[in-house]
Amino acid sequence: MLVRLNDRRSFPVFGAPRAFPVSTLRRELDRLFGDLERAPALAQGFTPAVSFDDTGAALTLRAELPGLTEKEIDINVTANTLTVKAARKAEAPEGYTAHRRERQSFSFAQSYELPARVDPEKVQASLKQGVLTLTLPKVAEVQPKKVTVTATA
Amino acid sequence: MDKQAQEKTRPARELTPNVDIFENDSELLVVADVPGLDPSDIGVHVDLPEFRIEAKVQGSPDRPVVYTRSFRVDERIDPERVKAEYKDGVLRVHLAKSAAFRPRRVEVQTS
Repeated sequence: MLVRLNDRRSFPVFGAPRAFPVSTLRRELDRLFGDLERAPALAQGFTPAVSFDDTGAALTLRAELPGLTEKEIDINVTANTLTVKAARKAEAPEGYTAHRRERQSFSFAQSYELPARVDPEKVQASLKQGVLTLTLPKVAEVQPKKVTVTATA
Repeated sequence: MDKQAQEKTRPARELTPNVDIFENDSELLVVADVPGLDPSDIGVHVDLPEFRIEAKVQGSPDRPVVYTRSFRVDERIDPERVKAEYKDGVLRVHLAKSAAFRPRRVEVQTS
């Protein structure tokens, strides 16, 4: 953890009571960046942003897949699993020289175990401006039910 | 200055979209991943030497999300002839070079 050097109270002292702050800082930075390089997320490259929601009656998924058309997305649903596959190839337009390439190719295949049983027949998927929205209605038995409280005399 | 206190006052979450930049003889082409936008919420500003993309994500659940990215371009760009298109969540901006800076083939005359 990095701390401000002038914060004596929480400044970590490793062994020696007066550790040289610069070497301490360097060691901490090396450790920090070493961790980053080993992080699996970076090694695997780009992963689209995905968010899940539970609206009560349905589970919803929102995934950002810019540059993809509906034909390049493959979705499979069972009562309790969901698999989303999508791939994008970063292509340079013909006849251009590239100055900067940040938009990566990706091949994305993710399976999710759903927290509630859904009806695969009623699942809806739409793709709008690179955002995939999936609505997975829950089966009737697991949908929330409102219980009315009756007052008794 | 308390940095944390400053960040709390930020009105929107700023995202930096990934971009590709290409060039050919007639133009610079900037391609940016900005999914889920309404074309009318995308602003492409050319104020030489600055070129800026700004877009606001509507209806984000918690706090507003803004995509911003700016670049320096040189005077070879003709600000009047900048075209942008948005499709499948990808913004493509074509920055045409001024005629004077485009390569021209000169014919060698035989006398």
